[in-house]
This record gives sequence, structure tokens and C-alpha cells, in this order.
Amino acid sequence: MADKYAMYIDASKCMACRGCQVACKQWNDNLGYVPGVRETRNVGTYENPPSLDPQTWTRIKFTEYDDPDRGFQWLFLKEGCMHCTEAACVDVCPTTALKYGPHGIITFELELCNGCGYCSQFCPFQVPQMEVFNRLTGEAKSSKCVFCQDRTTNGLTPACVKTCPAGALDWGEQDAMISKAEARVNKLKTDLGFPKAMVYGKTELGGLGRIYALTAPAEEYGLPKDPKYPATSTLWQKVCQPVGGIALTAVTLGAFFVYLVSRRHVDMEEVE
Amino acid sequence: MRVKIKGSKEDGGSIHIRWIPKYTFLERLGHWVHASTYIPLAITGFMIFAPWLKHMTHGSAGQSFRLLHRVFAIVLALMPIIYALVEPRRLLMHLKENFTFTREDIGWLKAAVPYYVLGQHVDMPPQPRFNTGERLNAVAIIIGTVAFGLTGFVMWFGRGYVSPMLFQLAVIVHDLAAIITFAMFIVHFFLAVVHPLMWQSLVSMRYGVISESYAREHHAMWYYGEDRARELWEEHKAENGH
Repeated sequence: MADKYAMYIDASKCMACRGCQVACKQWNDNLGYVPGVRETRNVGTYENPPSLDPQTWTRIKFTEYDDPDRGFQWLFLKEGCMHCTEAACVDVCPTTALKYGPHGIITFELELCNGCGYCSQFCPFQVPQMEVFNRLTGEAKSSKCVFCQDRTTNGLTPACVKTCPAGALDWGEQDAMISKAEARVNKLKTDLGFPKAMVYGKTELGGLGRIYALTAPAEEYGLPKDPKYPATSTLWQKVCQPVGGIALTAVTLGAFFVYLVSRRHVDMEEVE
Repeated sequence: MRVKIKGSKEDGGSIHIRWIPKYTFLERLGHWVHASTYIPLAITGFMIFAPWLKHMTHGSAGQSFRLLHRVFAIVLALMPIIYALVEPRRLLMHLKENFTFTREDIGWLKAAVPYYVLGQHVDMPPQPRFNTGERLNAVAIIIGTVAFGLTGFVMWFGRGYVSPMLFQLAVIVHDLAAIITFAMFIVHFFLAVVHPLMWQSLVSMRYGVISESYAREHHAMWYYGEDRARELWEEHKAENGH
């Protein structure tokens, strides 16, 4: 895609300092540790917080990986919205809070979101996180990484890219990021001894907004091997709703037509 | 009750109608509770369906409409449950009546087209208390309501607890139930309220009565009893040389 921008993520350079998590929270005004309100607890891993949440739009996922060639190692994966070229969340969002924005970013407007949660359920990566204020009334808001749309549409890089001290992140046109990832994966394979290194995000869902250079197969990082645009979204949005709309229109018009015909034929004086 | 009809010669320009009871008070109450909750549910539900209504779902307005949707849904769901507690045997009778279809229903469907479209009084096979069309409507509504309830429960409380696939299927089934029941609603509204031949339907849903002649003609198995109705139907067919 010509105008699409992407984030380059070099998993081999990431040292899991989590500076990106901090920069993300700082720029987007998201909460970190708040005593009594938002606390974290040790669950036996360096990973923190344990998953993406409404206030954590990006996070380093830690995976202990026993590589058959190289022995034990950590795999560090920068998680967050993939900004798919074919985004199911945009299609199922009834409010247009989720839209295709400039540079192929999936933008999010908090004021438009009504908290239905369809995005969180149809996303092939389960990225959008729901802040549920009241389960009974359905008061909720979705949230996800928006590639710092206020920065990137003004010529800056996302906050996480800006802060990364290891140089593991980059931001630019998707094609350039793919070339960069491919070059890096070649180097990892030939010079640095990672025979199973691979690029992730080049073709998945029309090309992702995150281009990963990984040192191990994507499944080992917990990424879906072959993510697909959900068939249920196609069935719902492209089949059920248009066909249903046509059917209901046809029934209404049919009833009106029958009314016009029957009015001429029914002799009310004979009806009891 | 006397209905004045222009041009009737006998009885000084009026005809005499003998009304016989068909619906109990609770049946009529149930009908109107269902109608007055289904319509707002359909309106709030179609907001995410119809492109020209989609702006109503934005932000806090959408949240409020969803809350209304849930309040009406609870009332709609409670009605049959309460009815089942008050009149369990009658509810079972309704279910049995409405889920029984025979070969005669095909004959009814064939005769229904000229009857409702052209007003021709074609011979219709004798029908029980609910005719084929009413039973089809009831079956669609009963199955649709159960589907609405189950999938709505998943969408309300299940998010985050059930697998995304189950949630996605719940959304689709809810959608299909809406399309099918709303198509039925259009037909039902048209036949009951708009259609000139069916002028009695609003009377019967308000006062619970229908005219004797309508019962004899359209619900013979209920009026005469099943055996006598079949006998008369056979005689009638023999007379007309079928």
C-alpha cells in the first residue's frame, strides 16, 4: 500500500527495558501505578503488566524459549495494535469510532465509542481492551494504540519509537520498513546465528502496521501463525446485513403492493 | 354489538354480529407487552444495522440506547416467564397448538394468496384456533425470542469470559433473529392492522372476541371441533365437485 506507514520492531535488539511502555503512557496520559487504584503484583515473571489493558496500549511480552539450536533465551515482543490494512475492528464498529486514518493508521475517537466491545471480540489479535465501568448498564470504552496519531500526522515519530534506547524501533513508510526488516533478518540468519529468524507483518491481513524482525518463529512469540480476517465479520457485515436489508425492504414493499391490490378487490360491504 | 354498514337492506341498515370469546385477558396482555417492548427493541437494535440510524449509536447516546435496549429486553423476557408461572398448562397448550403443522397447511397457504391479495373467498382447509400463517408467525417469534435471549445474554455478560468465536456467532445469530422476526412483524402488522379483510383483529386483541361467522369460516376445527370440521370440509368438497 502506497501511503501506508508502519512501525519497524527489531526483536533481536529489544532488551525489554520497557521504556516504550513508559513513553506511551506519558504521551497518551494513561495511568501507570496508582496506589489503591491501579496496582500491580508480582506473578513470578519480569513481565509487567501481565497483559495489555485499557491504560496500557503497548507492552513488552516476555516468553521463555528453549531454542533447540541456541539453548534457553528470552523472547521480547512489543505488543500493541497491528493497524491491519484489512481491519475487522473498523468494519464491525457501529459508531465509526474506529476508522482508517492518515498513513493507514487505525484511528480511535473516544467520544464516539459507546462501549459495545465488538472490536475487542472481532480483532484477530485481540488487541482492543475494554474499560468496563459498569457491566450491568454496559457503560464502557474501548482503547488501543493509535500510533500517536497526533504526533505522526505532524511529522513526528510515535512516542515509543522516539524513546527506544536500543534502536529496536523505527517509523516510516511500510515498504521501507519491510526492506529494513528483510535486511535485518538476512543478517540475523547469515551472520548472527539465528537460522529461524523471520519477518512478520508483511503479508498478514493485507500488510500490518507493525513489521517485526523476529529471531524465532512467530508462534514461539505467541503471535498467530497465519492470522485471518474473521469470516464471521464478512458473514455479518457483507452478507447478513445487506441481504437482511434487501429482504426487509422487499417485505415492506410487498405488503404495500398487496394492500393496493386488495383495496381494489375487497368489497367491504360483504365483509363481516 | 351492532355494526352499521351502508347499503344493507335488512334490519334497517344494520347487521347483527354474534361475538364469541377467543383470547383471555392474560393472552391479550401478553400480546401487548410483547408488542410494546419488541418495537422499541427493534428501533434501538436497528440503530447499528441501518446506515441512516448509525449516528444514533455514537458515544453516550449509544450507551443510553443500549441501556434502554436492555431494560426493554428484560421486560420482554419476563413476560412469558411470568405467564408460564401463572398459567403453565395454558402455555403448554399454546406451544402444542403452534408447533403442530399438518399437510392441510399447504392447502391453506395456497388458498391464502388469492384470499389476502384479491379478496377471493377460496375454500380453505379447516383450521384450528390458530391458522397456518398465525402458527408460522408464532413459531418464528418463539424461536427468535429464545435466540435473542440466549445470544443477548452472551453479548451482555459473556464478553471476556466466553471465547471470541462464541461472541461473534452470538452477534450474528442475534442479527439473523432480528431480520427474521422483523420481517414477520411487518407481515403481521400489515395483516392485522392495515389489511381491510382483517378488521376484526384489533377488536379481538382488545376485547378478546371474534365474530361467529369468522370463526366458522377461518377456524372451523376450533369452532366445530376437529372431527365435525373435517366432516363438513369433506361434504363441502363433494358438493363442489372437487
